[in-house]
Amino acid sequence: MTIWKHWTLPKNEGTRLHELGTSKICVAVDTAGEGDILAAMPIYPSTAAGTRTTGKKPGISLPPLTDSAWTRFYIGTDDGYKLSPAYPPLPVCVHLRESFFLPPGTTLEGWIFSRIQVRITANEAEVASFPLQRPFKTLYGTPDAGVVCRYDEAEFLASREPIVSSFNAHPGYVAHPVRLRNTSSDPVLVSDLCIYGEQLSIFGVESIMQSERLLFIFSSSGVRMSLDGQAPLPPGATTIARPLVSGEERFIVRSFELFKTMTRI
Amino acid sequence: MDPIATVVESAPQVAEPSSRFWEIFPSNSLFGQLFTIDTAIKIARVALALVLGLLFVGLVITVLKKMTSRRMDARTGGLVVKVAQYLGFAFILINTLDAAKVNLSALLGAAGIAGIAIGFAAQTSVSNFISGFFIVSEKTFAQGDVIKVGDTSGLVFSIDAMSVKLRTFDNQLIRIPNETLIKSNVSNITRFPVRRLNIDILFTYDTDIERAVDVLMDVAANCQNALKNPPPVFMVKGFSESGIGLFFGVWFATNEWFDGNNDMYVAIKKRLDAEGIEFAYPTMTIYPNAVKPGTGSGPSPRLRKKLPS
Repeated sequence: MTIWKHWTLPKNEGTRLHELGTSKICVAVDTAGEGDILAAMPIYPSTAAGTRTTGKKPGISLPPLTDSAWTRFYIGTDDGYKLSPAYPPLPVCVHLRESFFLPPGTTLEGWIFSRIQVRITANEAEVASFPLQRPFKTLYGTPDAGVVCRYDEAEFLASREPIVSSFNAHPGYVAHPVRLRNTSSDPVLVSDLCIYGEQLSIFGVESIMQSERLLFIFSSSGVRMSLDGQAPLPPGATTIARPLVSGEERFIVRSFELFKTMTRI
Repeated sequence: MDPIATVVESAPQVAEPSSRFWEIFPSNSLFGQLFTIDTAIKIARVALALVLGLLFVGLVITVLKKMTSRRMDARTGGLVVKVAQYLGFAFILINTLDAAKVNLSALLGAAGIAGIAIGFAAQTSVSNFISGFFIVSEKTFAQGDVIKVGDTSGLVFSIDAMSVKLRTFDNQLIRIPNETLIKSNVSNITRFPVRRLNIDILFTYDTDIERAVDVLMDVAANCQNALKNPPPVFMVKGFSESGIGLFFGVWFATNEWFDGNNDMYVAIKKRLDAEGIEFAYPTMTIYPNAVKPGTGSGPSPRLRKKLPS
């Protein structure tokens, strides 16, 4: 059963836990006058401090709904909320676990993966958006001209084939088809790729999700990222999330004109 | 009727009101001497020069404001507009005086002498004004940056022709003359996207430094605001009187540096306490020499007798 759908309020069941991989999103309801307050909170695997085990069955002790760990949102008389995948608000810098050299004048197609966030909306308004792992940050570029990004790690899958296998169907990841082109006259060490999620859609079937194809051009003047059209989608794929920026902005080439230390020619 | 005769006959009738006017205001009176046709024309020319000058300068300033708002930052644009305003008012003044047939050469000569006198008196202001141009051209900081000048640091509130105004973090407005800024070392704290937190730690001599470094690196790796890249750095600063000095640097996004500073210090203290790693503080260890009887280093036998056993 897919998690990305409209859910009714957990009024008679206490706190509802949505599990995505090793992370959990807790959702609870608190009454406020004639309306309701939706409270949400993420639980990451590393935050085991609030976890207590009773015998063999693990139990989770949650803080009271008045605790600041909960994000609270007044939803009035709305009967439910919607969970949907979203990109992080910051650009994502995907650090490749195994960096590689791209020879001059070559083009390489493949896939990288980045972690999505869980977006909770009620009555079309965003209640909260939580990353599915404890979020860390990194700098893409140099300390004088770089971009502060969300840190992510991934393998580079050098394949032109569409992603359909269940191996890549983790509900917390979105696959990005990428095309890397080295137009310079020297080999480039590719170790980090920066993705602007605000420009991208999420297409998918069940838990297989992917974005549009991205083109990274490494030239002597720097790295340039742009959208490279639509890669083949899994059969029956639908649009789950649309880009946050307008169509015109979306197709404007986002140039960084900077060298990553590790991708320096 | 002879036309000439008619003119001659009618002339006294036409001149009658003028005569009445000059009867009320005789030509030898003060008003009569001042209010002539020439004076009226002169006043009209002055008024016209003034109005047209103001309209022209106003138009130029408006166009300039629009141009600078698009192509320059607020600080440079403001200064350019201000200079244009001063030049425009000088132009209106000269044009108006010229329209009033005032001898400008004499006035300019007098203005030159007065200018020298005023220049001496206002050299600080002039220096600040000119320094403002250098500050603008260097682009060291802009409105909204956090800068540090000497011991003063704060948010750049405004950049004016004579001074830069800072809003300090305890909400005071401080005016720093441009001349001071030119002469001082100015640190722009928020210029770059990331900033390093520099932590100096002094460990006791019995600390396992490698383990301490591993612990510090782990603390940084678990701090959500600390950047993974550039990675944290450490350096052994040397052996001091009280312990081993270590420098530990962690990078943060500039706007999260403050929170990162607090998180790191708290986390380091907690973690080092938990790991049993001690901070060093100024101490002096005294090793007393063992006293042997008869060596002469202890109290004399006479004194020893008096001392309680």
